[in-house]
Amino acid sequence: MKNKLSIIIFISFISILFFGLFTDTRIIQSPLIGQDIPTFNLTTLHSQSPIDSTMIPKETVLVNVWASWCLECIREHQLMMKINKDKKIKIIGINYKDERDDAIGWLEIYGNPYAFSIHDYNGQLGIDLGVYGVPETFLINKDNKIQAKFIGAINDNIYFNKILPALEK
Amino acid sequence: MKTNVIFTLLMMMNLLSSYIYAENKENDILYNSLIKEIRCMVCQNQNIAESEAPLAVDLKNKVRDMINEGRDEEYIKNYMSSRYSDFILYDPPLRLQNYILWFGPFIFLGFITYILFRRKINK
Repeated sequence: MKNKLSIIIFISFISILFFGLFTDTRIIQSPLIGQDIPTFNLTTLHSQSPIDSTMIPKETVLVNVWASWCLECIREHQLMMKINKDKKIKIIGINYKDERDDAIGWLEIYGNPYAFSIHDYNGQLGIDLGVYGVPETFLINKDNKIQAKFIGAINDNIYFNKILPALEK
Repeated sequence: MKTNVIFTLLMMMNLLSSYIYAENKENDILYNSLIKEIRCMVCQNQNIAESEAPLAVDLKNKVRDMINEGRDEEYIKNYMSSRYSDFILYDPPLRLQNYILWFGPFIFLGFITYILFRRKINK
């Protein structure tokens, strides 16, 4: 009886450690979920016209943080182009800590899936959004609240199982 | 007379500079202690004092700016954790979600002691 108990304790302890091996320590639950998008006062990438937080459309949108220096963004870009082609959800870009010319050139090479991009040159909006691993993607609901945050490149799985279902609600 | 004036002026400047120095020093102490307590989110086993990752540099500048604006330690820590979660602080505040982090080791210790004692008594 006593042996059984210690075996159970041992196995449960080992299984906690075992499953710990598969958790991605880079993914940290964002405290921003459910919060309003942070206020900002920046310019758009292409037209350089001023843009602030009140000008985010009042609909469910994706906000994708990208940069021309970010290699992972190139890999993610195909999916961004596809999402834009699907026309189910609008994508707004945040060009993070990037030179304007480099960023525009990058979009000319790989295509521009963004309704518009916000030029966050000094990264302050990035800090306010808790960005630490570009690319990052935010799902913003129609009340302009952050509904979900995806760190790293998003994939088909996230698009079909997390993002599209959010549109049906 | 002239030397007196110059002397007084010099003394006043000296006082002023030491005052500024003292204030800056206080800020430096706060700055240095804060950047050791903030985790670098890019290189997670380093604090931002040790890291030269671009985000760590940005956050160090941000801490410096906030100190210069007269913000206190609590404000700055709160600023960081409200954006990057408590994980960014090496000394996370005691919250419901963190109870297991704070008390887990003691519970575990108590549990092990209990088992070992029981074993000894049974023998």
